Amino acid sequence: MDFDFGSLLAFIIFGVTIGVVYGIVALGISLIYSGLDIVHFAHGEIYMFGAFLGLVLSQQIGIPYPGAMIGAMILAALLGMFIERVFYRRLTRSGGGYTVSGMGMIICGFGMSVALMNVAFLIWGADAEPFPVDFGIEPLEINDISIPPSYLLTAVVSLCLMGILNYFLRYTKIGLAVRAVAHNKDIAFLMGINVPLFISLIFGLACALAAAAGVLVGPMQSVQVEMGYLMLMKAFAAAVVGGFGSLPGALIGGILVGIFENLGAAYISASHKDIYAFLLLILVLMYRPAGLFGIVAKVKA
Amino acid sequence: MLNIKEVHSGYGKLKILRGINLNVPQGGVVALLGGNGTGKSTLLKTISGLVPVMEGSIEFDGQIISGKKPHEIVRSGLVQVTQSKEAYPAMTVEENLMLGAYTRSDSSVVRADLERVYEFFPVLRQRRKVLSGTLSGGEVQMLVIGRGLMAKPKMLMLDEPSAALAPKVVLEIFSNIYKISQTGVTILIVEQNVRMALLLAQYAYIIRDGVIMIEGSAEDLINDPSVKDSFLGGTVANTKKSLNS
Amino acid sequence: MRNWTKFLAGLAAGGFVLSATAALADEIRVGITMRMVSENGQKYGQMVMDEIGLINEAGGINGHQIKATLMNDECKSDKGVANANKLIFQEKVHLLIGSTCSSVSLPIVDVTAKAQVPQIIPHSTNSQITQKGSAWVFRVPVSGRFYAGVNAKYVGENIGKKIAYICAADAASQNDCDAMQAQMKSQHGADPAYVAQVQEKEVDFRTHMQKIKSAGVDGIMVAALAETMSRALIQSYEAGIGTDVRRIGSSSASNAPVPKISGDAVKGVFYAAAYSNADTRPIAKLFNQMVKDRYGIHAPDHDFSQAYDLIRIVEIALNNSDLKLTNSSLAADRTAIRDAIANVKNYQGLASGPISFCAAATPQCRDGNKTPVLIAYKKGGEAFETEVLARVNMPEDFGL
Repeated sequence: MDFDFGSLLAFIIFGVTIGVVYGIVALGISLIYSGLDIVHFAHGEIYMFGAFLGLVLSQQIGIPYPGAMIGAMILAALLGMFIERVFYRRLTRSGGGYTVSGMGMIICGFGMSVALMNVAFLIWGADAEPFPVDFGIEPLEINDISIPPSYLLTAVVSLCLMGILNYFLRYTKIGLAVRAVAHNKDIAFLMGINVPLFISLIFGLACALAAAAGVLVGPMQSVQVEMGYLMLMKAFAAAVVGGFGSLPGALIGGILVGIFENLGAAYISASHKDIYAFLLLILVLMYRPAGLFGIVAKVKA
Repeated sequence: MLNIKEVHSGYGKLKILRGINLNVPQGGVVALLGGNGTGKSTLLKTISGLVPVMEGSIEFDGQIISGKKPHEIVRSGLVQVTQSKEAYPAMTVEENLMLGAYTRSDSSVVRADLERVYEFFPVLRQRRKVLSGTLSGGEVQMLVIGRGLMAKPKMLMLDEPSAALAPKVVLEIFSNIYKISQTGVTILIVEQNVRMALLLAQYAYIIRDGVIMIEGSAEDLINDPSVKDSFLGGTVANTKKSLNS
Repeated sequence: MRNWTKFLAGLAAGGFVLSATAALADEIRVGITMRMVSENGQKYGQMVMDEIGLINEAGGINGHQIKATLMNDECKSDKGVANANKLIFQEKVHLLIGSTCSSVSLPIVDVTAKAQVPQIIPHSTNSQITQKGSAWVFRVPVSGRFYAGVNAKYVGENIGKKIAYICAADAASQNDCDAMQAQMKSQHGADPAYVAQVQEKEVDFRTHMQKIKSAGVDGIMVAALAETMSRALIQSYEAGIGTDVRRIGSSSASNAPVPKISGDAVKGVFYAAAYSNADTRPIAKLFNQMVKDRYGIHAPDHDFSQAYDLIRIVEIALNNSDLKLTNSSLAADRTAIRDAIANVKNYQGLASGPISFCAAATPQCRDGNKTPVLIAYKKGGEAFETEVLARVNMPEDFGL
């Protein structure tokens, strides 16, 4: 394959557009990790549920696409909070992370992943469902690269969501409290913060982000019960590459994974595209075990 | 103000406190003294609600608070100043202080109180946009005290404000605590630095192995030779260093 | 209830076994393993069982009932081989029907050859299946080698010679892709303009589409299983590759999920298959109506027609077999059934041309159907429409 600068640029742009989606799912995984001290292995299924909810809202109920996305985010947040309250709470209450119950939590996450997949299977079946959305606008043409409106929309919406989240966390009182809970629950308690409520809030927020990713990707890749697994793996890689617990890290990690796998597919071999994310993961773990933006290990009470 | 009656508590099956009785009068300064591992931190956590009460009761400002959630206890005006290492290092000084005012909804008064804290600790004003992880030990101690004040407490509980600080800084911190008590805030101070604590407090309790060994007015205790003995539980060096300073 | 059928599909996916009749001493045992993961898969499996049930109701084969055991291999070769072993050695079937995916049928060919059990294949198109030299295998669908020949002829004469290929990693698509490239070379001397080897379930084709767009091709062949193909088709339009570039599908383009998922992106896509529901013959119209009434399928694809033709061929062969059906006659009965299938000549069913087998263990004898039909989509979505572009009888040793 001969090299030209135009297509290199195109591959990087495509990498970024899918990378920001990995980024928002990774952001959720990172948030949950900071807030609950657990790696949430059912997050891919929340993403899948989000995609199906968006599909139902827009195709069957007829809500316009932006409304369907917001609706899916709200429903997924409620679903997430329900799961956290009913199933995870009793495990996280006795400590997460590297404790014995933290191990139980990981297993519980895997179980939830299988359970959610089967629930989705019973509701929507195993077939892939089309999610046609008319994005309307003409592709953006830069030299001979044309960027379709759906890719642009994906990137813009993802970045907006991250911007909103960043503003929320940095400049609002609730956001400040979320960060406090994420960093150290005991001190947060002493600040008068209702920590259990905030843990639910964090979980809901993370699930809403995953649902947004599902609704964004659905129109391009169709919606299917098994779609969550691959996204979880990519987002997990993004979160680790960026540094677990770091929010800007999740975004940068996602974009790096996106670019890395697209360049790998373009210039090395496309038949094993999914391994590039893990190759990057291994490289980062070898040379920077805390990830690119990893913060110092959390102080545990 | 704070009344602790026959309190037993601990972690899971491990009982640490075995029948603590302690009383802090309104507007007073009371010291709780003891070495490492004597149960004084557990007592603070029990009062704050982080560690559940197994037996006995805790009453604050006329209400039973034992059994309440930590955030509810904070809202009733009893605020614990955490140890200095427990600031949020990834947040700025001002964010830390604002977090202290989390329970309050009177935002205009909060701004005024922030100014008051800055007047109290001018160094915090200079460094208000800086991540608190980069502050010096003394500055962080001022920050956590200021953060406690932001909650507009009726009573402050301070957890070892002199820990790991240079003697000169300790003096500055204690003079600030004295000024706070003069504004009418009731204070319970937990310390290993016996001399400084007894200078500040009117009344003191000495805890060891989860029970109160000795109690009395600060004047009595400061002259009591057995006080020194009760610190032989492994913190001699600390105490000696403090006493020499 | 749609959801309940899916629930049953779920049970079947878990290895649940459905049996048509109760066990009888002198019954003919038939084992079936197919991919039944999708809604359609579930239904053609059901159709096979229903048709066997009808044969039994009408008195069976020469007075013998057929006992059919249907298993799901989910298109996974390990499951398929396990199913085949169970059916052959535990159920002691006289005849094995299966499978759907080439990657599953390929290893099962070795199992049946070794166990000396006749195997008749309903769906798999990979050319290698009949080239292994097994005397026990018969293929009802059109082999990939014929599809490629027809496709390449039509493409070279009507579309152009600059073709880009997107080839997914599953066995059927790899075979379709390689065969098409070989045919373009041998018929028109054309080398591929671009080849992308992608993962079986790839979700993002944008880098390839960008390259294909800048390569300026006449057509794109997308060789992939239904869902993957649909994603590639949608993304080809997203990338701004216009309708002037024709999209060529591999054999799985005939699966109903393709028009359903692809929507408008499927319009103009053409492919070679064994059956078109746009077929105007009375038998085809009756069949379409039957499938619609029984199973609620809008338009049966060739997976349905081939499964139906297969049962008719099996019925003919069993009627012509002299079976003892005792415990000691198992091997003799299996051989008798094999020889009877090899003697089926000029069966005229739903397939576009006659299906004939013969005794030699060669692809010429065992690829029964040599008449692919070229089909194009006129409309996508659930209510998709197709049209027949051409029917071609291929010489029996084409592509060998």
